[in-house]
Amino acid sequence: MTAGSKEKPSRVSMLQRFGFNFYDVFVFAFVTLFALLCVYPMWYVLVASVTPYSEFVKGGLMLWPTGGIDFQYYHAIFTTRSFINSMWISASKTVLSTVASVLVTAAMAYGVSKTHVKGMKIINALVVFNLFFSGGLIPQYMLYKDLGLIRSYWVMVLPGVLNITYFIIMRNYYSYSVPKSLEEAALLDGCTEVGTFFRIVTPVSRSMLAAIALFIAVLNWNDYYSYMMFIGNKTNLQPFAWILRRMLVDQTMMNQVRKGAMSLGSQPPPPMALRMSTIICAMVPIMCVYPFLQRYFTSGITLGAVKE
Amino acid sequence: MTVRQAGAVRQPDLRKQKTGFVAYIRKYWFLYMLVLPGFVFMAVFDYGPMYGIQLAFKKYSPKAGVWASQWIGLDNFRRMVGDPSFIRAFKNTIIINIYHLIFGFSFNVFLALMLNELKLRKYKSVMQTCVYLPYFLSWVIFSGLVQVFLESPGTADSGGLVNQLIAMAGGEPIDFLKRPELFRGILVISNIIKSSGYSTIVYLAAIAGIDPALYESAAIDGANRRDALIHITFPRILPSVVIMLILQLSGLFLSNFDQVYNLYNNYVLSTGDVLSTYIYRISLGGGGTDFELSTAMNLIMNVMGLIVVGITNRYVSRLDVQGIF
Repeated sequence: MTAGSKEKPSRVSMLQRFGFNFYDVFVFAFVTLFALLCVYPMWYVLVASVTPYSEFVKGGLMLWPTGGIDFQYYHAIFTTRSFINSMWISASKTVLSTVASVLVTAAMAYGVSKTHVKGMKIINALVVFNLFFSGGLIPQYMLYKDLGLIRSYWVMVLPGVLNITYFIIMRNYYSYSVPKSLEEAALLDGCTEVGTFFRIVTPVSRSMLAAIALFIAVLNWNDYYSYMMFIGNKTNLQPFAWILRRMLVDQTMMNQVRKGAMSLGSQPPPPMALRMSTIICAMVPIMCVYPFLQRYFTSGITLGAVKE
Repeated sequence: MTVRQAGAVRQPDLRKQKTGFVAYIRKYWFLYMLVLPGFVFMAVFDYGPMYGIQLAFKKYSPKAGVWASQWIGLDNFRRMVGDPSFIRAFKNTIIINIYHLIFGFSFNVFLALMLNELKLRKYKSVMQTCVYLPYFLSWVIFSGLVQVFLESPGTADSGGLVNQLIAMAGGEPIDFLKRPELFRGILVISNIIKSSGYSTIVYLAAIAGIDPALYESAAIDGANRRDALIHITFPRILPSVVIMLILQLSGLFLSNFDQVYNLYNNYVLSTGDVLSTYIYRISLGGGGTDFELSTAMNLIMNVMGLIVVGITNRYVSRLDVQGIF
């Protein structure tokens, strides 16, 4: 198994010639160390979150759970009501904004990619301009206030529907990666513009759409900004990412959870341990979609980046 | 609207213009329909807020609203220039971005080259899976991780893992997150761990496009793999490197609100406060209500950013790649 043996047969001979040497050891060690640096913290937190506190305070590298597995911190978290509520808020807002975002952005990107149609170039420039110039925080706040969006659920969904970054990626995909001949052939054979879009272009770009939908979903799941800026203190609308922030960063929710756990009859769990298990809870949904993300995202990012 | 105007310029004959216009819309109605929803969202949520920019030149009174507030010319900007916290945040933003550029950016390129040099295909893909992963965790989670690891020893526990290791080596524990001189380093390193892997994708795609015959002939000429890396791989991905560099340069005045906001605290404001966090603190967060000043700062930031983007995009379009426009 030599690198690239399938695509680059010519390199095999070169690799064989030079064999394994110091250079390879350096490359191997460097990449492995960095990969460990990326993954080990999560492993550490996972192990620490199921380790009984008496074991945990002893410190150490936490390579493997010692002293038995203990789910008490997870129990403390899942008996806190605002956690469950916030998960619902986050899930619903993620589904709504992802569906809306992909539909609106993809449709617009396809239209704008047809630059020979009058007006499309201007619309394109108008969209891209926004990437670099926006009203800013306060003008946004003023507008949302006028629209009655402040302190409403919809402020977490509507403003982000047209995603400019993915608009650019999708537009480039439609311009360069969908074979022009395919569309032309369909039109020649009497297929209408409508039919071409729904029956030719959309099926061809299915995997691009899936990739971008996943990216947008992760973005929305992690979003707490819109809540923090425009809703502020309506506890029944807190998204999960905000609860997380309150647990992990400013720790304003720590006492609430600890008290809740105490009323269940146990000792108040130490903040550090609760933080660990919260991190794990937050990572689970991302980990669930990660395999799919990874399968698509290499194409997701580079599509549209390379001219044919 | 734009379509009608474009038609009018080209066809002065009124009757002909109308039928031409109707026929044109008929022909392409579907494409216009596809664009319409996005256009509406753009008009409302991207261009809608722009009327609020006038606040930068006004004295905001909540009673009168944005339109009826009193014009005060450039007073807000004068206040801004005289505000030491603003100057500090401005300096910090640029310094932190330059650090990201020097250390983070070059690390990305190096990591991509090293990943590509891995011989075992399976091992390479495992490594890629590992290094891409942190990118998908939010900064909230990541900042939680950073805090857990850098925690200083408390009364009940022995602190985060890093401090445990320092103690084991016989050193004094360090309260990393409260030391201003360490904060920028923490920003740069945590950003490298979180997003370096992901940034390599663009370069790896460029490397995949290199003609294998080049390596073959180099090997015949007696080049070893390090020579091939320096004289073939690197020059070939240089265009991608330059584009990414320019894109990053164009964000010189922008700061990563998500990262800084989740990592900083009152102890490290002197080195860690950036424009976006400062703008937030004086307007919506932290009890401030200085809406005009916040808007003025945003406007200045945007205008400067736009100038940089305008300059850099000219260079991008000169290279043989598509720019963003």
